[in-house]
Amino acid sequence: MRILLDKFSKSFGSTKVIEDMELEVGSGEMLALLGPSGCGKSTTLFAVCGIHRPTSGRILFGDRDVTNLPSQERNVGVVFQSYALYPHMTVEENIGFPLMVKRVAAADIKKQVADIAALVHIADLLGRRPAQLSGGQQQRVALARALIRRPDVLLLDEPLANLDAKLRLEMRSEIRRLQKETGITAILVTHDQVEAMSMCDRIAIMKSGEIVQIATPSQMYNDPRTSFVASFLGNPPISFLKGRAEQGAFVLGENGLRLPLSALSGIPDGTSVSLGVRPEHFGTTGGIPIDGKVVFAETQGRENLYDVVLPDGSVLRSIQPVRDDVKMGDSVRWNLDSASAFVFAEDGRRL
Amino acid sequence: MRTSRTLGLVMIAPAAIMIFLFFLMPVMLTAIFAMTNMSTATGISGGAWQVTQGAINRLKTDMPELATGIAEPRFVIDEEGLAALEGLKLKAGFTTELRASHMGEVFPSRREAERVIKALKDRPSTREVKQISDLFNRSVLNTRFETRDDLMASLKKLGFTLTPAEQETVSKATYTGWVWTAENFRILANSPDMAQIFLNTAFYVSVTLLLFNVTYALFLAITTHYMPASTASVFRAIWLLPRITPVVIYVLLWKWLTWDSGFISMFMGQFGYPPKNYLLDSAYNAWFFVILINGFIGASMGMLVFSSAIKAIPQTQFHASEVDGASRWQQVRHIILPQLRWPILFVTCYQTLSLLASFNEILLSTRGGPGKATEVWSLAAFHTALNNYTGNLEYGLGAAMALVLVVVGIVLSLIYLRIFRYDTLISKPLIED
Repeated sequence: MRILLDKFSKSFGSTKVIEDMELEVGSGEMLALLGPSGCGKSTTLFAVCGIHRPTSGRILFGDRDVTNLPSQERNVGVVFQSYALYPHMTVEENIGFPLMVKRVAAADIKKQVADIAALVHIADLLGRRPAQLSGGQQQRVALARALIRRPDVLLLDEPLANLDAKLRLEMRSEIRRLQKETGITAILVTHDQVEAMSMCDRIAIMKSGEIVQIATPSQMYNDPRTSFVASFLGNPPISFLKGRAEQGAFVLGENGLRLPLSALSGIPDGTSVSLGVRPEHFGTTGGIPIDGKVVFAETQGRENLYDVVLPDGSVLRSIQPVRDDVKMGDSVRWNLDSASAFVFAEDGRRL
Repeated sequence: MRTSRTLGLVMIAPAAIMIFLFFLMPVMLTAIFAMTNMSTATGISGGAWQVTQGAINRLKTDMPELATGIAEPRFVIDEEGLAALEGLKLKAGFTTELRASHMGEVFPSRREAERVIKALKDRPSTREVKQISDLFNRSVLNTRFETRDDLMASLKKLGFTLTPAEQETVSKATYTGWVWTAENFRILANSPDMAQIFLNTAFYVSVTLLLFNVTYALFLAITTHYMPASTASVFRAIWLLPRITPVVIYVLLWKWLTWDSGFISMFMGQFGYPPKNYLLDSAYNAWFFVILINGFIGASMGMLVFSSAIKAIPQTQFHASEVDGASRWQQVRHIILPQLRWPILFVTCYQTLSLLASFNEILLSTRGGPGKATEVWSLAAFHTALNNYTGNLEYGLGAAMALVLVVVGIVLSLIYLRIFRYDTLISKPLIED
């Protein structure tokens, strides 16, 4: 089912959190709301599920206007960050709760709970209470409870934030699998770009109550609209060099580096610009050699990560296949792939 | 030896001593007093042996002969009397003759004794006869003996030879101090008055507890939970007033409301009803107000406990249940109430005990009246042991009543723990010793 937020605004008292947001999630699509904490992504999610009422604007599920419907009548499934399992109920009662309050016959509930429990692989835990479950198991129970009444929309509020790294990886693919299998429309709220990129069809990246860019993960990675988007995606993150435009080239420092870039043609000389370079675009291959000094080296097993300080003091990050000939303090001359670098205006706009 | 266990004992020791001194000791003393017939009449220290008219009446059924015997004065010619006679400096012949011919004689009445004295050779005058006979009066009636043996010796001297069993009966009948007895419990079990008071108490405790201390408190806590925060706090503050107002003033306000010149009378006067004391005019009204007075106090306490317990439920559980489709009622029924089991147990238990034991509101409002309509167990115990109209304060009986309260309280607490399945409410400590 399609979800449409039309001129959606939300304020708490005099604090405006979100103003005139437009967002459409296609039927069966999984969309990530990605952004730093306090950007309004959870507020948006709570408005979609009806816990918060919009200050103005409309929310549509399909063609149905649900703006003023209470949560109970919206048919949404939500997985909360804390899972919000009911501690006094068993797993079976927790999962069956949405059906129980609809007064579905007990036998039906039992059967549906068994089905959904098998789907999320917790069939053998039905008799336990939430306190007797591990984090990952609780997560699955919360997911099952959200899915059991076949909601039109599945909303996930930082569902992986409380899990350890390995489990997070596992649940990532698990949630994606379930979403695909059930064909449900889903919104994932997260501040973790890896989660957003790996799980979702599209990402809406948010900053202070506004959507900065909506795109597929690869589009967004390769074609960020602002420096904020570029800095939010990618791990290890992009590094920025601050310089100025001069005759269609990016110039760093007084007599420093000079990079001819097609994006800069037509930009007046002397304009302050910044250059975003992802770590994989600075290393042994690439067109423009740059001198620097390694100040930080970290091995990640398959790859090494280096921080290189340029003569003017700015830092470039580089990620390269493992090598052991470069140590901290070494002077290096590595190449920058200028074709893959992004140029941003002073206000963060991509040029 | 596990150090944590020893440390635990050491740390609990001050509390344990306090509990022993201020909780267990009073209960033990109550139990001890309950096994006596202490009252104002017996005093609380030891007693003496005294042949009072009452004692004689008690003896009349078992030993009628002795009873009539000791009720009368007795005259014995003995060495003690003779010595006193010598001291009177009358004619020496009186003493000599009495010693020589009448020593040891016992006369059952004054007349017989005086006949003998009159017949003495030295012819005492009538005034002297009276004087002499007084010296040999060995009556035990209204004489106080400090020990049992004194009494028995006197009786023997008077010519009553008693078997040990008879001695025991006499001793019991004449003893004025308190004695060990289970009589109190027999009175409690058999007296119809006590049964009525017991039923009053059961009615008062269960109705106040169910209607106000738990149900109404829950109602207040849940409704204020769903109110906006500021409205809720105003509402809670209003309901706290009965508890924070000093009880004397609080009850006085109720009296102003219900007196024959009070608010209700004035209001009803508008419709032509004559003024009356609504608090005390009928047993029904008295109960109505007694339960309201106590219920409002109890409700505020329950409201506080339940409100904070509801606050402790994470907000996301309410969000989750709304999203899951639960209505308000279903939220209350399936999310709030199950998680309030522990506070409800606490309030039920605590309030049962406090309703059973406290009578100050009733004492201040109806004093157990009209008649004894609102007399509850603890008030009756207070009246019996410490404050009553006749003035004979029966400490022993009162203590027995208090002991019944203690036992009832313990039994009820155990039943509550069972009903609320206390064992499932506590979790095992995470620290292992």
